[in-house]
Amino acid sequence: MDVSNILADHAEKIKSTEVETDTPLDVDAGFLTVTDPNPIDGESYESSLETHLLSLARTGTQALLNALFSLPTTSSPDGPLAQLPAPTTQLPRTKPLPKIKPLTKWEQFAKAKGIQGKSKEKREKKVWDEERQEWINRWGKDAKNKQVEEQWITEVPMNADIDFDPRKAARDERKARVTKNQKQHEANAARAQKTGSSASSNPEREAHKKDLERTLAMSRTSTASMGKFDRKLEGEKKMKGIKRKFDPTEGSVSAESKAALDLLSKMNSDARKTRMTEAQRPSKKSRTSHGGNEVEDPEGKVLNVRKAVRFASKGRGGAALGREREKAGKLGKSGKGKRR
Amino acid sequence: MEARQPKEVEDARIAIFVKGTKTGEVLNGVMKDMMALKRPDAISFSKKNVIHPLDAQNTASGSSSMSSLEFWSSKNDASMFVIGQTSKKRPNDLTFVRMFDGKVLDIVEAGVENYVSMESVPGSKSTPGHKPLMHFASELFDTHPRFIQLKSMLMSLFNGEVVESIYLKGLEHVISVSLAPTPATLNTTTESTTPLPKVHIRTYTTRLLASGSRIPRVELTPMGPSMDLVLRRHTNPDPELLKQAMRRPKLKKTDVEKGLGKKRKNLDVDEMGDLRGRVHVGKQDLSRLQTRKMKGLKAGAFEDGGDDGAGGSGSDDGEVSQKKRKLS
Repeated sequence: MDVSNILADHAEKIKSTEVETDTPLDVDAGFLTVTDPNPIDGESYESSLETHLLSLARTGTQALLNALFSLPTTSSPDGPLAQLPAPTTQLPRTKPLPKIKPLTKWEQFAKAKGIQGKSKEKREKKVWDEERQEWINRWGKDAKNKQVEEQWITEVPMNADIDFDPRKAARDERKARVTKNQKQHEANAARAQKTGSSASSNPEREAHKKDLERTLAMSRTSTASMGKFDRKLEGEKKMKGIKRKFDPTEGSVSAESKAALDLLSKMNSDARKTRMTEAQRPSKKSRTSHGGNEVEDPEGKVLNVRKAVRFASKGRGGAALGREREKAGKLGKSGKGKRR
Repeated sequence: MEARQPKEVEDARIAIFVKGTKTGEVLNGVMKDMMALKRPDAISFSKKNVIHPLDAQNTASGSSSMSSLEFWSSKNDASMFVIGQTSKKRPNDLTFVRMFDGKVLDIVEAGVENYVSMESVPGSKSTPGHKPLMHFASELFDTHPRFIQLKSMLMSLFNGEVVESIYLKGLEHVISVSLAPTPATLNTTTESTTPLPKVHIRTYTTRLLASGSRIPRVELTPMGPSMDLVLRRHTNPDPELLKQAMRRPKLKKTDVEKGLGKKRKNLDVDEMGDLRGRVHVGKQDLSRLQTRKMKGLKAGAFEDGGDDGAGGSGSDDGEVSQKKRKLS
């Protein structure tokens, strides 16, 4: 049996859905858009514009529908829905991306502890009242949270004070809850404001924090092992040291030659003059005086006392120098005696 | 106010159709038909307005039209404008303005020719609110900056909404944007003196015919409006503003869980696109492997026949008890 004739007939009756183009069409199913990157055929354009446009549009639409109808579908009450992929074309947004809301203190805590509470959207304004068999407000007029204070009779505990007012007690409790919530809300808003803006909202506090950190760092390195063998606390941060900076090995020639010439001129100059100039520099002065060994001369020169002592005692130290001087004095006396 | 806050996935752009100081019959029809296509996200300004957004910024009319565009945008939460205005110098002038964050992002100006209204074309029309299909034909939509901008602008106007799913039978109409043949002298990079090819905008309704497969064959019937556009002036978006506008949200958590952006263990896709998994089985105990039974290999075969049988049964018992232990 030859079915080719039947097949051909069938194919003639039902036109194909295939699309034949030189370059495949660029389909963006997410935006329901198809772009035909083939150049426009001049001849058919010239001969009859409308039929040319119609055939172009038909080919493009067919290609787009081919892509759309082969997408996975889900069922819905209205009929099958095709699941569209994310669009590939990038269109500019209408508004900037939404800012990330900072977490409230409770949300932070819940996140840290892994608590998954009810989501906020689920908390509805109305609650079901079993007795009245209807939905009533959670708060506001005739609300659930006012039921105790608004009921016509209230039970009083046996051991209550003589002036105990159950309605007032319930009201106070409710009011306290409201104020507490308001306070927390304000604190959260303030915290959000702070994280949102820069950290230097309170410069005094920042300075204090810096000072504390400095003190902590000093105390940590003040043990015998300079903090190396101390017991680490949980969550203790590693101390940051001062990073040494080196000049790059490859630099500009002019800068290098200038540095070398500076050094040379310094070496050529009078040593005393050099010291003078260095001493005159305010930054150096403050730094050297910080060390404690330098004493400022009344003449304005800086004397390195330690160095001077070492030089005078030929490296044996100040105590030895003192002893020597004493000895020399004694010797002098005795010498006098001898002379006599 | 909350509805106007920035959203991660945005709604369709709301377009305002503004009439300039003078609009001819043609432009009135164009704006009306475009609104019919854009509905329900279209707002009409029926009164005349003095607006020239493409005039120099420093002139009084230029700066005031920018500020009025921004004002209208903020008042109506609209981010797109279609301005119609006709003059002797620029007859039947249609200006598309796209906004970002309440500021003008870019402007495309075009002249309308050969306009055929929706009413004059017989036949059924598309239902308002149904999403159109869009078709762009010409290689210039991928190469020439002016046409890339036009394509982006028209997509923003008609199809710029990200939707997750769509009812396929509801796709009723196509907006087809096609170009005249590309002139040989057209330079894609620099502004050349060669006139840009004409833009033909046609709208068709679709008819889905059975094709013997799941995918139907589509036939198109002209719906109207149809018009030809001649590109005139334009402004390019400010690069800094565009960079902000092109920012995308980070991957959603559900996508991450699905495995988009997160590496799943022991799963990979091979060259043929098949998902391959790796399964780890425990270490095989080779000491219990049953090899070929031979008389000579039996334990104690040389010593005693009876002993051997008892030993075998004993070991069997042991195995059974072990199994029992595993079960319990």
